[in-house]
Amino acid sequence: MTSRREQSITYAVLGAFSLLAILPIVGILLTAVQDQGELAAFGTFNGFDPGNFADAWRDGNFGTYLRSSAIVTVAVVVAAVLLSILAGYAFGLMRFRGSELLFYVFLLGLMIPTEAIIVPLYYDFRDIGLVDTYWALILPQIGTSVAFGTFWMRAYFRSVPRSLVEAARIDGASSWFTLWRVLLPLAKPAVLTMTVLLAMWTWNEFLLALVMVTDEGLRTAPLGLSFFQGRNTSNLTLLAAGAVIVATPVVVLYVFLQRHFIRGMLSGAVKG
Amino acid sequence: MAGVRFSDVSKRFGEVEAVRALSLDIADGEFMVLVGPSGSGKTTALRMLAGLESISAGEIAIGERVVNRVAPRERDIAMVFQDYALYPQMSVFDNLAFGLRRRKVPKETIGERVREAARLLDIGALLERRPGQLSGGQAQRVALGRALVRDPQVFLMDEPLSNLDAKLRTQTRGEIKRLQHAVRTTTVYVTHDQVEAMTMGDRIAVMNDGVLEQVGTPEELYERPANRFVAGFIGSPAMSFFTASAAAEDGAVRLRGAAIDLRLPRAPELPAEVAVGVRPEGARLWRDGGGLIGPLRGTVAYVEALGRETFVGVDVGEARLAIYEEGRTALQPGDDVEFGVLAEGLRFFSSESGEAVGASRGRSLAR
Repeated sequence: MTSRREQSITYAVLGAFSLLAILPIVGILLTAVQDQGELAAFGTFNGFDPGNFADAWRDGNFGTYLRSSAIVTVAVVVAAVLLSILAGYAFGLMRFRGSELLFYVFLLGLMIPTEAIIVPLYYDFRDIGLVDTYWALILPQIGTSVAFGTFWMRAYFRSVPRSLVEAARIDGASSWFTLWRVLLPLAKPAVLTMTVLLAMWTWNEFLLALVMVTDEGLRTAPLGLSFFQGRNTSNLTLLAAGAVIVATPVVVLYVFLQRHFIRGMLSGAVKG
Repeated sequence: MAGVRFSDVSKRFGEVEAVRALSLDIADGEFMVLVGPSGSGKTTALRMLAGLESISAGEIAIGERVVNRVAPRERDIAMVFQDYALYPQMSVFDNLAFGLRRRKVPKETIGERVREAARLLDIGALLERRPGQLSGGQAQRVALGRALVRDPQVFLMDEPLSNLDAKLRTQTRGEIKRLQHAVRTTTVYVTHDQVEAMTMGDRIAVMNDGVLEQVGTPEELYERPANRFVAGFIGSPAMSFFTASAAAEDGAVRLRGAAIDLRLPRAPELPAEVAVGVRPEGARLWRDGGGLIGPLRGTVAYVEALGRETFVGVDVGEARLAIYEEGRTALQPGDDVEFGVLAEGLRFFSSESGEAVGASRGRSLAR
């Protein structure tokens, strides 16, 4: 039992942190819908103009950029989720020589930041003629996503009661059948959570897209935002409207899957 | 159906030897219980038989076929797990049918066999439910059904009753025994509970520290334990022990220990120092002394009144002996008490090796 005083303090602290999290978002939303003609400053409100979204869509070329983002994100997420499930299953439930060492090699992908490898990666991709193609955006991101995904799915498969896998083996199921028909239906929260996280990270990737592609038709949505931020000028209202446009698909995906997402995040912490 | 043979089977996990040179023959249709404390190697032995653990040395055969390198699914066995391991996303029907479908059994046959198993286990009404909607007892029956429906050569059961409450455990104990009698499938049953072992097994294999200590019928193990470990492990309350020196005296044997002095008119040949074991029913309060030898004097340490019977723990010198008393008793902890022992109830063990000595020597198949 907590006392009233403790409860009040809890609410006050949580409230303060919620405000810290929400204020920037509210600021961007307000900025995105205010009149461009007025002097705009972040967090102020000078008249309502929903037309900003249409302007931002046109000026930021978001029609093309969102399509590119969607192609890259779907390709990366589908490939990474499939490969992560397979690798996580192997590392989590199979015993083979060198598995520990190999797993640490996978973890390197989690530890090394994109900034550290982007320049050599650019030259490698240029040598094999992949710069300015979707592959230049998709392949490196599959690599980093599989590193996280393997780590995530291995932890999930390790939490599955071993007896379930053993029962399936004795009942005549192959490893392949056990994975897809026995374990995966139970892994829905873990797989969906991984899907949301990978989709969010891939969708928001900026540096890779900036370095690897110059073709207008291949650029992704986060790059579109940079158009509103010139060296000497910045159109704050259109930048905010653009940010809302770019963020919306991820927010929609999260809202759609949030029930599973929260269950997936908790599954390691709370015994089911 | 088929028998099972372990020949010199060992299992090492790194430096630890979990099972050491296990040799055990299990007859076709027999209900064999592997019993022992935690870490005794009983579950490892079962898992090696199931193919879930590799074998470090030796040979395991099911029927005539050596299965050392045969995959679990090709061994024609069915296993009931401690946590039941039911597939949570499938209905009870699908859980029961899983193994048959994997073996490409015709659909109509699957339906028949599942319904037959469900009838035998009285779970017909549960077939559409998911495991999450079952009580512990129901889940346990479904797990049994999943093994039963397969009609395998050998049933393997790994402490299947340990998650049930005491009443349900007793009830299910009888039910498993009845089912096994009905289908006569060779069964290897692992438990740490010696009451389960005594009530269910045709024979019992007692394991300790990776070694098979003794194998025999429940009666053999109880009456003629091969060593001090088996004597102390089988029976509840456990056999009590005291150390005594033994000396021949006018055709009898005199046992002397701390606060103990007994004259046994008919006693086997004993070494000079011996560990003497006595079960609670072999020690009674001294009333008129009829049939008992003694008396011994001690102080009551505890009183366990179970209603129909009472067990009284008595400190005698350095030993604590459990005494059986029918009905209730007025004794209280701290009371001084006189008691005697039944000569035929005494068991003797070497105080060095722990092996049985004298007439109580049991048949030890291990060591």
